[in-house]
Amino acid sequence: MVFNSLDFFIFLPIVFIIYWFVFYKKVTLQNTFVLVASYIFYGLWDWRFLFLILASTIVDFYVGQAIHNSSSNKGKKVFLWVSIVFNIGLLGFFKYYNFFINSWEDLLAGLGYETHNSWTLQIILPVGISFYTFQTMSYSLDIYYKRLTPTKNFISFAAFVSFFPQLVAGPIERASNLLSQITTKRVFSYDQCTAGLKLILWGLFKKVVIADSIAPIVDDIFLNYNDYSASTLILGVSLFSFQVYGDFSGYSDIAIGTAKLFGIELMSNFKFPTFSRNVAEYWQRWHISLSTWFRHYLYIPLGGSRVSKLKSVRNIIIVFLVSGFWHGANWTFIAWGAIHAVLFIPIFLMGRNRIYMNSVVAENSWFPSLKEIAQILLTFILVTFSRVFFRSQSITDAFGYLKQICTNFSYEAYQHPLGYRMIDYFVLIAIFVLYEFRMRRDERAPFKFKSKIIRFIVYTIIVLCLLLFFDDSIDRSFIYFQF
Amino acid sequence: MKKLVIKSAIYFFLILLVLEVIVRIFHLGKDTPARFLDSYEVEKWKPNQNGFSVTGNRRQNFSEYHINSSGYNSYREFTPTKDKIEVALVGDSFIEGFHQDYYNSIGKKIETKIPKIEVYEYGYAGYDFADQLHLVHSYKKQFDLIDHVILGIKFSNDLTRGEYNVMRGRLDLESPINKLLKKSKLLVYCKSIGVLDPPQELIYRIRKTLRPQQKDAAIDKNEALRIQQENEKKYLENFKSLVSKYNYDKKRFTLLLDSRITNSTFLSYLKKNNFTYIDFATSFEASKKSTTLIYDRHWNNHGRNLIAKTIIEHLNTIKMFR
Repeated sequence: MVFNSLDFFIFLPIVFIIYWFVFYKKVTLQNTFVLVASYIFYGLWDWRFLFLILASTIVDFYVGQAIHNSSSNKGKKVFLWVSIVFNIGLLGFFKYYNFFINSWEDLLAGLGYETHNSWTLQIILPVGISFYTFQTMSYSLDIYYKRLTPTKNFISFAAFVSFFPQLVAGPIERASNLLSQITTKRVFSYDQCTAGLKLILWGLFKKVVIADSIAPIVDDIFLNYNDYSASTLILGVSLFSFQVYGDFSGYSDIAIGTAKLFGIELMSNFKFPTFSRNVAEYWQRWHISLSTWFRHYLYIPLGGSRVSKLKSVRNIIIVFLVSGFWHGANWTFIAWGAIHAVLFIPIFLMGRNRIYMNSVVAENSWFPSLKEIAQILLTFILVTFSRVFFRSQSITDAFGYLKQICTNFSYEAYQHPLGYRMIDYFVLIAIFVLYEFRMRRDERAPFKFKSKIIRFIVYTIIVLCLLLFFDDSIDRSFIYFQF
Repeated sequence: MKKLVIKSAIYFFLILLVLEVIVRIFHLGKDTPARFLDSYEVEKWKPNQNGFSVTGNRRQNFSEYHINSSGYNSYREFTPTKDKIEVALVGDSFIEGFHQDYYNSIGKKIETKIPKIEVYEYGYAGYDFADQLHLVHSYKKQFDLIDHVILGIKFSNDLTRGEYNVMRGRLDLESPINKLLKKSKLLVYCKSIGVLDPPQELIYRIRKTLRPQQKDAAIDKNEALRIQQENEKKYLENFKSLVSKYNYDKKRFTLLLDSRITNSTFLSYLKKNNFTYIDFATSFEASKKSTTLIYDRHWNNHGRNLIAKTIIEHLNTIKMFR
């Protein structure tokens, strides 16, 4: 079940009503119902993979207690490794098995050895596996680092792992935030619910109007890049930047908004990365739940920046490569991670990686300065360049795409594959960027207007745009579901 | 909770209201003319209606229609006499032409090139060969005055029945509920852009789950081929039955078809039995520009130009039109 489907819009009100009218009295009832609803939500996609979630839940529930109860450090470590090996094992098998086999065969072929037997398997990638395995692992890691006391309530823990708004594509929650809310009784709040509904509406706008409407253009350009000039290819990858942002941040907004309807506050996943002034700031604003996961559970354990510069650089490279590989079993994602490492390291060496930590562009003014505009544009160009690798089917395609930009350097007006007016999309994106710039200080308040009339007009425009750009014929699944 | 429900309902209602106004102001939804069954049991549009046909979410194709007093979309009235030279184009939505401005139709294009003739376009969405011949037969007096009749035919769609009977499915669209629903332009707009498809699919899915015996049986390739061959035979028989029942006038009547999508046996039958036909396949195939609209499969202006040109070439072979 996906958020932008009719099924979900039938499922959500039913679950909401039952949750607040039937199971509101006790936290145990609330959690049991959330668990059942989450399993139905996931099971409607493929019930067989519910066993994986259940297995991951059981393993980390007991491993967490074992780590906590273990008196020796060695014992704690052993149990931690059980969790890591199990979760990474699941990921390794379902997500990376074929990649490793193919890469091994390619390597042998490159060395002149012929491989006759292919060991690849027909494996379906379970939706959300990268997200919930990381979430359960973080629970065991937090207990290991003594940042958390394990819960003794299995239902609560299972609800934490499978909480349906964030189950399939995050935000990847920490137990310290989500589990503590799940173990506490939720009380209905009008303000929280309306804030949730607003986020759902805004998320739908980003997904349906921004991401889905430009998807056919991006698909066409990346599929036929050999036929297009540089101007079209640059347009294609630039639009992809907006597509992937609209898609994933739209999903996150709907997830956060839906969680609010049930009295749960999820962490923010996006904070207007389009307005980042350097790549370091970009990573503080893009897919925050994943980047902070890697910072807490990989970068810092490796020594972070408290070791020598050389080792810090090594740590950065490892984090970005692993982060790239997390996205998918393809060399393109590893290359994408490597590019970001290359872009990040100079900023780190100059000590400028934390200068925009607590600020936002045009902090105290209406408009950004010329310097800020230049910084934003440069960051956008660099990040967009890396997306050629993120979007391409293979490394060969990515280089082919870049080569075509360099060798066919000319301007050519692009015609929409379905014949639509391109100007509609340019105007749409320009308005979207300006609107996001207006709300840049608070990612959780997309309709912050004092006047009720203006707010109503904006709601109407949003719904009108949903109709104007709705396209039933295209694939409406979320990009990050494949990860 | 009460406050949430009440406020949400108010917002929902007000937004729908404003959207209805916006859809009307910007004419995003199409107008749908009313249809009826006349005294001869010929289904047609109610005479003297005007409106606009709209395709796409953002009005990507916008055209005006005018239903004349005969119940067909045309800029002219159909008043055949013995003195004038008239040609009738009979067919489905391609001849009806809601996707084009009524004053820029195929008939108008032919008249511009051959000013001495009048072209009457008896187009109605969904008309198959039985509908067409029933119309010609029912209005025999009128059609007898028309010098030449061209009947648009698509082999796979238009020969599925061997005798005429009223298609109730189309007329059900004029039910009181549908009429009421059509009053909301927002609803018409949402339906036309596919927003209402998911609820309809859901209803279908639920029905299918409730009646598992209605499962679609899987058909293998050979079985599919056999069914297709049987259908093609049936279509030919239907054609024979219809032309014989309605006294098809081989001298005055011509078929308009695309040989690329027409069964070869059927084409051979037409040739062998002296049925004249106009084949527009060659001109469409030779065209470098697209012949259909972007947003639906109907002919675009270029396609209509080619059709008009092909018909003119055919008419030029007939003495009276030269």
